[in-house]
Amino acid sequence: MINVDDLIDQSSGAQRRMIYADQAIYEQELERIFGRCWLFLAHESQVPNPGDFFRTYMGEDEVVVVRQDDRSIRVFLNTCTHRGNRLTRADRGNARAFSCNYHGWAFGLDGSLATVPLESEVYFNEIDKNQFRLVPVERVDSYHGLIFGCFDKNAPSLGEYLGDMRWYLDVALDAMPGGTELLGATQKVIIHTNWKLSVENVCGDGYHLGWSHGGALKATQSGDFSGFTVGNSSVDLEGGMSVAGLNGNSVLATLDGVSGYAFYPNPTLALKYLSENRAKAVERLGKLRGEKLWGSQLNLTVFPSLQFLPGLNWFRVYHPKGPGKIEMWTWAIAEKAMPDELKQQILDNELLTFGPAGLFDNDDGDNLSACTVQSRGWRTRQMPVYTNMALGRSGKRVGLPGDIASGVVSEHNQRYFYRRWQEHMQAKDWSEVPQYNLNPLEASDEQRTVQTA
Amino acid sequence: MNSALSKPLEGPVMLAIDKHLALQQQLFLEARLLDDERYNDWLGLIDEAICYRMPMAERRFRKDRSAPLAFGGGRIFDENKGRLTMRVDRLQSGLVWAEDPRNKVRRIVSNVEIWQGVQTNEAEVHSVVTIHRSRIDGEEKHFVAGRRDVWRETAQGWRLVVRDISLDTSVVLDSNMNTLF
Ligand code: FES
Ligand SMILES: [Fe+2]
Repeated sequence: MINVDDLIDQSSGAQRRMIYADQAIYEQELERIFGRCWLFLAHESQVPNPGDFFRTYMGEDEVVVVRQDDRSIRVFLNTCTHRGNRLTRADRGNARAFSCNYHGWAFGLDGSLATVPLESEVYFNEIDKNQFRLVPVERVDSYHGLIFGCFDKNAPSLGEYLGDMRWYLDVALDAMPGGTELLGATQKVIIHTNWKLSVENVCGDGYHLGWSHGGALKATQSGDFSGFTVGNSSVDLEGGMSVAGLNGNSVLATLDGVSGYAFYPNPTLALKYLSENRAKAVERLGKLRGEKLWGSQLNLTVFPSLQFLPGLNWFRVYHPKGPGKIEMWTWAIAEKAMPDELKQQILDNELLTFGPAGLFDNDDGDNLSACTVQSRGWRTRQMPVYTNMALGRSGKRVGLPGDIASGVVSEHNQRYFYRRWQEHMQAKDWSEVPQYNLNPLEASDEQRTVQTA
Repeated sequence: MNSALSKPLEGPVMLAIDKHLALQQQLFLEARLLDDERYNDWLGLIDEAICYRMPMAERRFRKDRSAPLAFGGGRIFDENKGRLTMRVDRLQSGLVWAEDPRNKVRRIVSNVEIWQGVQTNEAEVHSVVTIHRSRIDGEEKHFVAGRRDVWRETAQGWRLVVRDISLDTSVVLDSNMNTLF
């Protein structure tokens, strides 16, 4: 095992660059992070009907999420138990059974081995079909429509794993009756970067926005978005906050209740929806969240690799493919209660801004790739990189869980992300992983007002 | 998907040879304008009513039984003239750092078929475009796509009215699509 004690220095906000390049560290991540954490698999809306399936990854393990006849969800490794062929080759679909292309074994939706060609002739009816069921993912649970899986039977429950992050997630997932749905096909892009660089770019890096995306901000004329300006010439730290210290989960938030839609070429419909439903959101979420967070630009990160941005309405998961490569999967996300016209606009706008040819998204890939390549040199891999902005300038805010820094330009969240990474990489198993919800919600605070199903 | 690309035309009719050649030349000119980043000249060839589209690709079973997506799969490009102009504005803003130094780009337009369109002054054009992008150091990235165009003949020459682009990969193999097809 690699000792990662010296690879992250929390007091100075430094990371050693080998964490983006080293194969052995990556192997340890597959075991201790992707093999241990709750990972996002699919949204319930992607598998609405019995027999619907969706193929995805947990780390580098391919899995298939299957809606059962009783409407429950099961998840299996997408691999045949005979000689190990890939089971389904479709991205998604609807099936009554999964048959393997190699020798024709067929598995039921519940993972049972249903048929074996020539079972009596060549196996002499001696095969124990029970032994060859598809291998299920140990733990599957969902939170407001998001289906998660976990390979580790000793992991805390999904609820504990999310901790008080749920208070923020609910702004996106539970503000309106009916919750959310994902729109459109999966937008898949390969980027030659280390997965952590992609996550940190979104979990906390508001600093790059005005600079990296200057051209897009200028072209879409969204230059005054929440105090950002093209070229990073000014910033407003009062209008937002960086929230971390919630078991590795984090939030960037503006606080004006509308700026999530600032990048839209025409936000009229979205703004109308927000004003028409504001009272309902306040009723369900309370005044603070309903007025200040719902409709604001939020960057929500669930450790290690799920991120979504209500407002900009993209929803993304990263699948690692070695230390220097990821597949980035994106969808548009909408509230079910939204009118169809707005949903269609959200899908179109998400693709325009953060799709494979997204005006904004296309600015990030090359920077993230280059940060990875620049960590591969014999000399550079020994060097540190820093997330030391506004170090030590965070604290409690009344009524809000987490350790909070001012503004969305701060490197506060990245520091907590790397802290969590280190904690997992150091821990032999879950019993050694610290659990923390800093400044937890108290009885006196505005509590979750909606009973979760 | 995109059945327009595979649908056999019923008795396709050729254009007069001079028109055919002029339009074929225009396709190659268009590719060169884009390769040379002469975006404003390129926009000049685009009709005000342009539909410029590239749907998301997915790998699905031929006999897929699942319900269609309520709002469609979505489109990587779904551009009108205003949005194309916005893309060009971004590329020309001087702030797209990934394009500076400049990446060399060559489009190979091939398998060109030009047929009489539905309207007398229109042509339906099928082609394959391979975009080679030479990025930093030895990095080379390719996009291969089929195109079905409708071009309209105007007093100023042929103008592009519809372009349906079908990207072959279901996973985009480059970190950006700072390019036009
Ligand atoms: S490997 Fe699947 S049936 Fe043999
Ligand atoms: Fe970005």
